[in-house]
Amino acid sequence: MEVDVIKSKISDALVSILEHDNFELHDELTAKDVDGWDSLSHMMIITKIEEEFSIRFKLRDLNKLKNLGSLVSVIQNKI
Amino acid sequence: MNLVFDIQKSIENNYNNNAFYFGDTYYSYKDFAQVISDIRKEIQSSIKENEINIGLITNDDVQTYASIIALWMEGKAYVPLNPEFPISRNSTVIDQADIKTILDSSETKVFTEFNVILTKKCDTSEIDLTPVEVTKDDLGYIFFTSGTTGTPKGVPITFENLSGFMDAFWELNYTITDTDRCLQMFELTFDLSVVSYLAPILKGACIYTIPKDEIKYSYIFELMEDHELTFALMVPSILHYLRPYFDEIDCPAMKYSLFCGEALPLDVTEEWSKCVPNATIANVYGPTECTIFCTDYTYIRKGDNKTHNGVLTIGKDMKNTKTIIVDDDNNEVREGENGELCLSGIQLTPGYWKNEKKNKEVFFTKKYGGEKTRFYRTGDLCTVDSDGDILYLGRVDFQAKIQGFRVELSEIEFHAKAALDKLNVVAIAFTNSIQNTEIGLVIEATEFETKQLLDDLKTKLPQYMVPTQIKFINSFPLNTNGKTDRKKLNKLFS
Repeated sequence: MEVDVIKSKISDALVSILEHDNFELHDELTAKDVDGWDSLSHMMIITKIEEEFSIRFKLRDLNKLKNLGSLVSVIQNKI
Repeated sequence: MNLVFDIQKSIENNYNNNAFYFGDTYYSYKDFAQVISDIRKEIQSSIKENEINIGLITNDDVQTYASIIALWMEGKAYVPLNPEFPISRNSTVIDQADIKTILDSSETKVFTEFNVILTKKCDTSEIDLTPVEVTKDDLGYIFFTSGTTGTPKGVPITFENLSGFMDAFWELNYTITDTDRCLQMFELTFDLSVVSYLAPILKGACIYTIPKDEIKYSYIFELMEDHELTFALMVPSILHYLRPYFDEIDCPAMKYSLFCGEALPLDVTEEWSKCVPNATIANVYGPTECTIFCTDYTYIRKGDNKTHNGVLTIGKDMKNTKTIIVDDDNNEVREGENGELCLSGIQLTPGYWKNEKKNKEVFFTKKYGGEKTRFYRTGDLCTVDSDGDILYLGRVDFQAKIQGFRVELSEIEFHAKAALDKLNVVAIAFTNSIQNTEIGLVIEATEFETKQLLDDLKTKLPQYMVPTQIKFINSFPLNTNGKTDRKKLNKLFS
């Protein structure tokens, strides 16, 4: 899957959980930069992304998700 | 007080052991002793002897923990200040506790207008861990919890309270030795952090903390597996996060797995017990007012466990606490009847910091076992069975627990109303799809853009108190008593 397609699917997942699109998708984007992306919503965002891509993260994968760039590459390795 | 001497002895006897693991760096007890001594020297030279309550910026590093021990060795109390909390909230705490000096391990000062000691920049001095004389009534810390009127309330804990807790904790026989590796997952503004660092320090064990930028539950899992943690006190919400991944978790090294701070469901506990096959699992309970926790129940692996609505019993009172269950007039109810749980004993705080009104509301004295005894009303609705096991039924008021943090819903409503200029609001605690509690806000109005409101709330409330969902309703439903029907409003959230 193209990186752009992956990113746009991630964006959809974020919008559906956070109910806003006040963020710009770049590789260095972290949860801190996005309103409402806290430990509570993180779990729901992860679950949504798993559904969107029909993948399943391992617990160890979750610690590798430092920013959007690493999220994209973990997803790439799964699909 | 012996407690501070015990800390000194344990540090001195364990110089070669690791004391802390932060991120990827170990610090030995010798390193710890050095940092404590350096900070102590600075405290001696720049804080007046009669200044007792000292602010502490709660970073995740060796200087912050060393500051606590250094303050205790100087007979002073720490008041934790989370740098991520809104300035207005920290300022209220600073005002209330008369704080003039703040210990801060940051590179640049979080607060500039006070006497700030940058603890990373102290000169190196000779190691000296001999404490000054500390009496039982001296304060060890003051923790501020959510208050109903929009102002947090301070709970001062004395060294007698803290020693009473440690004594009762060791009596439980959840043994820690100098070879153990212990989890410290709590913000230092939360009193479960105290036992998570103090118990290991008193035994020369190693403490593993969570860096602030990590996702807590998955990081805990890696610590447990990669470092073979042997002791962990956690809030049950961590289990709810980990539950979808239980089949990936296998931690045979875990010896004691304790839970506190929220209701612990039996079904999750049963599943968790397979992830930590060799661990003793326990459910402990207690409010900050009675020093960390004061009742205990050991989960039975092969056998029946007592529950109410699927929630495990909180067990029996620990060695230094007496519990009774009373009606509205402070009369003890009969066995098996419901009432409010009340606590007494040497773990009980002397009372809220400068808050006589609240003290009159929740503390009372009554004859118990022939003696005049001071009790604290917990606000927890409970019942006790014939074995003396206490079952938790719910709250008598509008307090909620978010990841273990106490939240007064009225404090959220207070700040939301202030931001919305006369609009009526109700804050709701609801259970989300993974069984954790979230805060919702219902506004009595036609729908409008809420970004401004949320931005306002973020300047007044810690993140965990800011509502995660907002709903609008034209008029609040009323119950038969003519009061706002919170149960109906609760159904708006899922």
